[in-house]
Amino acid sequence: MLVAPISEAVTKGVSYCKQQILPPRTANSPGLWLPNLLLAALLFGWLIGGNAQQAPQFDDLAARAVAARDSGNVPQAIELYGQATRLKPDWAEGWFYQGLLQYSSNNFPGAIDALSHVLELKPGAAPALALRGLSEFETGAYDDSLRDLDEGVKKGAANEPRNEQIIRYHLAQMLARAGRFQDAMLQYQFFASNHIDDPDLLLGLGLAGMRNTTLPKDFPAEGREVVEAAGSAGYVFLSGDSQGADGLFKKLFERYPTVPNLHFFYGVLLFMHGPDLAIDQFKSEVEVAPSNAAAHAILAYALMFAGRFTEAQPEAEAALARVPDMEMAQIALGRSLAETGDAKRATEVLNQVLQRDADNMEAHMALAAMYSRAGKREEAYRERMVCLGMQK
Amino acid sequence: MSAWFALGCKSSLGRLAASAGVAALVWLLWGFPAGQPELAATAKAAAAPVTCATCHVGVATSYSHAPMRHALEPVDNDPVLLTHPKLTVEQGRYSYAVETKDGKSTYTVSDGKDSLTVPIHWMFGQKSQTWVLEKDGNLYEGLVSYFPRENGLGTTPGDGKTDPKNLTEAMGRKITTWETLQCFNCHATAASEGTKLTLDKLRPGLDCDRCHEGAAQHMADAAHDNFSTLPKSLKKMDAEDTANFCGQCHRTWDTVIRNNWKGTVDVRFQPYRLENSKCFVGNDPRISCLACHNPHQPVDHNDAFYDAKCQACHGEAKATAVAAATAIKSCPVSKDKCVSCHMPKVELPGGHATFTDHMIRVVKAGEVYPD
Repeated sequence: MLVAPISEAVTKGVSYCKQQILPPRTANSPGLWLPNLLLAALLFGWLIGGNAQQAPQFDDLAARAVAARDSGNVPQAIELYGQATRLKPDWAEGWFYQGLLQYSSNNFPGAIDALSHVLELKPGAAPALALRGLSEFETGAYDDSLRDLDEGVKKGAANEPRNEQIIRYHLAQMLARAGRFQDAMLQYQFFASNHIDDPDLLLGLGLAGMRNTTLPKDFPAEGREVVEAAGSAGYVFLSGDSQGADGLFKKLFERYPTVPNLHFFYGVLLFMHGPDLAIDQFKSEVEVAPSNAAAHAILAYALMFAGRFTEAQPEAEAALARVPDMEMAQIALGRSLAETGDAKRATEVLNQVLQRDADNMEAHMALAAMYSRAGKREEAYRERMVCLGMQK
Repeated sequence: MSAWFALGCKSSLGRLAASAGVAALVWLLWGFPAGQPELAATAKAAAAPVTCATCHVGVATSYSHAPMRHALEPVDNDPVLLTHPKLTVEQGRYSYAVETKDGKSTYTVSDGKDSLTVPIHWMFGQKSQTWVLEKDGNLYEGLVSYFPRENGLGTTPGDGKTDPKNLTEAMGRKITTWETLQCFNCHATAASEGTKLTLDKLRPGLDCDRCHEGAAQHMADAAHDNFSTLPKSLKKMDAEDTANFCGQCHRTWDTVIRNNWKGTVDVRFQPYRLENSKCFVGNDPRISCLACHNPHQPVDHNDAFYDAKCQACHGEAKATAVAAATAIKSCPVSKDKCVSCHMPKVELPGGHATFTDHMIRVVKAGEVYPD
């Protein structure tokens, strides 16, 4: 398990955390990373200050809470922080420590409650978002967990190196569960780049790569071998050894010629470096699983990126025949039609995308190309400027 | 433009004579099956390899001087290093020396105590030049490059913030497989097969078949007087296709947008900049890359050379006739050297050179570089 109980670590408080500043090189004891959220919170500076008019009784309780926390007496510290925040409900620091200590005691609902108070007082506080997201993960509130972890990372929660591993690992799982496989792989990229590995992590990467929304902890043992092997190959690729990864993937293809989404996985990895490199893998995936709409769609998309529009069109059509509103396929179809002269249908398809997402850049790019080819100079220029405007 | 492919296969003797001077241009060697007519016979008689230049004499001759042909210089015949046998520079606490002797070039970095010397196998660029170096099976972009404006060494563009911790890091920036593939595929021919680098098969610079896909088959078939497998004519591409084709290396508009590249560094990406021009439209050959540039010839740096290209749309007579309908304006300031104002030169950050901004526009005094 990557998530170990961390009560011992947390009860020793900030001073203990400082002794544990450097996370282990491997992910074997990730529980030690979490106390650093506390340090991160302090580094953010938002916990300190804003309590100028503290009553004597509150001051006493707060001091005793800190002392209990420093001495490792978690139950007492939780109780004292609770009393202090009842006296002074706008004490964000107190709520945060309650949340942290509840988390360390495996009282995840209590942690969520305390951290929600923090976030009411300090909306968008990255450490609180991340810690609440981790707590929600433990309670099985996965949608909430994804929302908080995603938001926390966007606001910088993973910028603190000591917290980065635990946050990114859990966020990766939540992204994969939500079907955001490529976003999940970007989180796993961090581990590969830093040469941090672990069987659970490889399984998680394998699941994301093979487009499986099951959480690693729920994945049955009998299916692990191929997924973990795929995760290992993906890990080698993401760590920069493309030749080594190529060998591992080829062995996988030989050993599991009918297992779906292996070629898809390798294709997605190659796509990051060059769509043309990925096309053969996506074609192989379509052969393995002809009814896989996503495989047809990404093949169409890669062909579109490579400028092979006449080949992209039937693949996009095949995807849309199975899933009529699949955006990736609509974009590939719209662009292909735009580039091959069917402006009327291209406009229809692209407008379907833009009705859902007016800022879809690929759709605007396709319109720019369509107008340009048709000699509609001003319209093409307008669409190009829309795209440039989106970048600013 | 039509002159690029002007010389057809009219006379085998003519082809042969002309090919003698440029036979080394293209290393596509094809044997001739027995019984083939004149081409085979004359080629054998002259003992010269058959190349694209065997037939396409004029274009091959002019292309031998074109920048793309020299995108990667041959290891034993690099004009930059042959004319600069010893280049040195001090960068921070490291000193660098690039030395050429007996056709062999080496790159040395020293910290005063120790030094590291590696041979130079790959010279990127015809004027400014960067060297890709190999050490322990890894490839590195040399941390110093040659710049003609300074006539000496300086920091390689993009590596200015590198803080080397040891001699290897001071030697160069380690480059990934993907970056390496991109570098070699745009500066050389036959440098890769799929995701695998094939440096043993690499031919320096862009040979004919790098752009003219199918050239080898065409040459083989042409040797049998079979001209049914001609490579796709690139002359027939419209402005949009041409920008995308050239953009494979010079970067397409799509590529720059998708990668969100911003700032004056993108002045290098001419197809992207051109397509940001108000006057660009994909179906008008007058705004195609090829309207101004013949890729088989050196770039013309005379501003006046391009006036006729601008006047093709903005000429007085045309402007008068179609102005109302198309809003094409003629310039109230000048009728010559249009590009000197409308395509300003932009200093490439860290590049020790200026590039022509291909975003054609009315440049206002003091304007910020338009992204």
